[in-house]
Amino acid sequence: MIMQTLEIQKVHKSFGSLKVLEDVSLTIEKGKFAAIVGPSGCGKSTLLRMVAGLERPDEGTVQADGKTIDHPSPRRMMIFQEHALYPWLTVGENVEMGLELAGISKEERRNRAQKVLKTVGLEGFYHYYPSQLSGGMRQRVSIARALVMDPDVLLLDEPYGALDAMTRLTMQNELLKIWEGSGKTMLLITHDIDEALYLADRIFVMSARPGKLVRTIDLDLPRPRNRHGQRIGELRQEIMQLLGLEE
Amino acid sequence: MQKMNSQTWKKVWPYAAAIGTLLLIWQITAFFSPPYLLPGVPAVLERLGAGITEPEFLTSLKESLFRLVVGYPSACLLGGLLGLLAGLSRGFAVYLRSLIAILQSIPPITWIPFLIILFGFGNVPIITVIIIASFFPMALSVMNATEGINRTHLEVAKVLGATKGQLLRKVYLPETLPSFITGAQVAFGNAWRSLIASEMVGGASSGLGFSIKFAGEVAQMTDVLMYIVIIGLIAAFFDHVILEWLKRRMLKWRYIGGAK
Ligand SMILES: Nc1ncnc2c1ncn2[C@@H]1O[C@H](COP(=O)(O)OP(=O)(O)O)[C@@H](O)[C@H]1O
Ligand SMILES: [Mg+2]
Repeated sequence: MIMQTLEIQKVHKSFGSLKVLEDVSLTIEKGKFAAIVGPSGCGKSTLLRMVAGLERPDEGTVQADGKTIDHPSPRRMMIFQEHALYPWLTVGENVEMGLELAGISKEERRNRAQKVLKTVGLEGFYHYYPSQLSGGMRQRVSIARALVMDPDVLLLDEPYGALDAMTRLTMQNELLKIWEGSGKTMLLITHDIDEALYLADRIFVMSARPGKLVRTIDLDLPRPRNRHGQRIGELRQEIMQLLGLEE
Repeated sequence: MQKMNSQTWKKVWPYAAAIGTLLLIWQITAFFSPPYLLPGVPAVLERLGAGITEPEFLTSLKESLFRLVVGYPSACLLGGLLGLLAGLSRGFAVYLRSLIAILQSIPPITWIPFLIILFGFGNVPIITVIIIASFFPMALSVMNATEGINRTHLEVAKVLGATKGQLLRKVYLPETLPSFITGAQVAFGNAWRSLIASEMVGGASSGLGFSIKFAGEVAQMTDVLMYIVIIGLIAAFFDHVILEWLKRRMLKWRYIGGAK
């Protein structure tokens, strides 16, 4: 039997009189790469924040490995839309923040930080401040800050939304490299349909007001994928139709 | 090196020009007045050179600085703590704002007679007035910064496993540090003014404020002017040298070159 790491069941959520999520159920198997696409304001971030433990559903359950998520855990790391690095800390100190909070020794922190900085291609930037880095580099630091905790689940909220198209493509490939063979479960939110098609094993398509799940698409295409392949083209059209972007 | 000098100069010249203008007006007025009424700039500077070594002056200076270094940091600490608490609790913020509004409508110096009756002459009434006058810029500045704290910064720390205490130390404090420093700069002006004023209205029989009042009573215009210059110089030194140095040290990240 496959262990199901993330399970969202019949979730409803409102903020005041605004109904944000209605009867959303979805499952992400352990070690898989899932993506959620949907129009702005359909509750994608809210859903992800529930998985992170930053928000609670009004109704329904959000579980990881069969246990209800009711608070944040270093096992599930979230990467935010805005890179959200601490401007007063250096790159190294930002990456080590979680380890420091956990009371890990300075030497071990430093070793682990240097190692992940290398993974994301930022060796030698340990002593820089975030203000000295480009947008893409900052987002790499925030990925390093999550990776250094060696989480089981990575939650990514439109991580590349603010980057230029070329940097975005590079970062997508880097993300695949980080994920492949790691056994980590990935949940990526994006409004970029191509990004979801290029990266994910399973895509959840949501509609807006109130946010609902309208389709689950499984892709078992090998990687690296051809962004212009035939199957991807068909799926792109299907998603565009679901989102009402194409007749 | 050349470039740094020209940048420093750019910052310094308006300040130098302001001082120059004041000295010029003084000197011109002095030119048309009898010297016992308004001595000129050179006469006062000469008196200053001699005066700063006189034991009377040194005692006076010591007394004032003592009250300042007790009262001012206490006010900053109190204001910072109250501001932080108010930033975290909406109810307390409303309470603190009302308290500050009431205190602000009463000039701090007004408390002197009350405090003298309560505590007698000496340091206590003056230091208390310094605290009343200078805790609130700190409190307001820190409160606003705490209320406006970046929500994502807090959530990142929560996800990374921060406890409540860690959130306070690792996010709230560093993020509000710039406003602590702004608050401290405004508070310093208040502290200094109320210190000198309290000494003048009779909080104690020593200190720079007392000395200038005494010089005025015996119509020693040169001494009066000397004390005015000294009081201004000390304030400028604290504000532009000590506090500025502290700011650059503590907010190093703010002065590092911008995005590339
Ligand atoms: N804490 C909150 N309080 C009130 N409204 C919120 C809150 N969080 C999100 N919302 C609202 O819920 C809706 C969905 O938000 P979000 O989950 O961020 O959507 P998405 O990420 O899909 O763009 C938006 O209309 C947003 O304004
Ligand atoms: Mg969002």
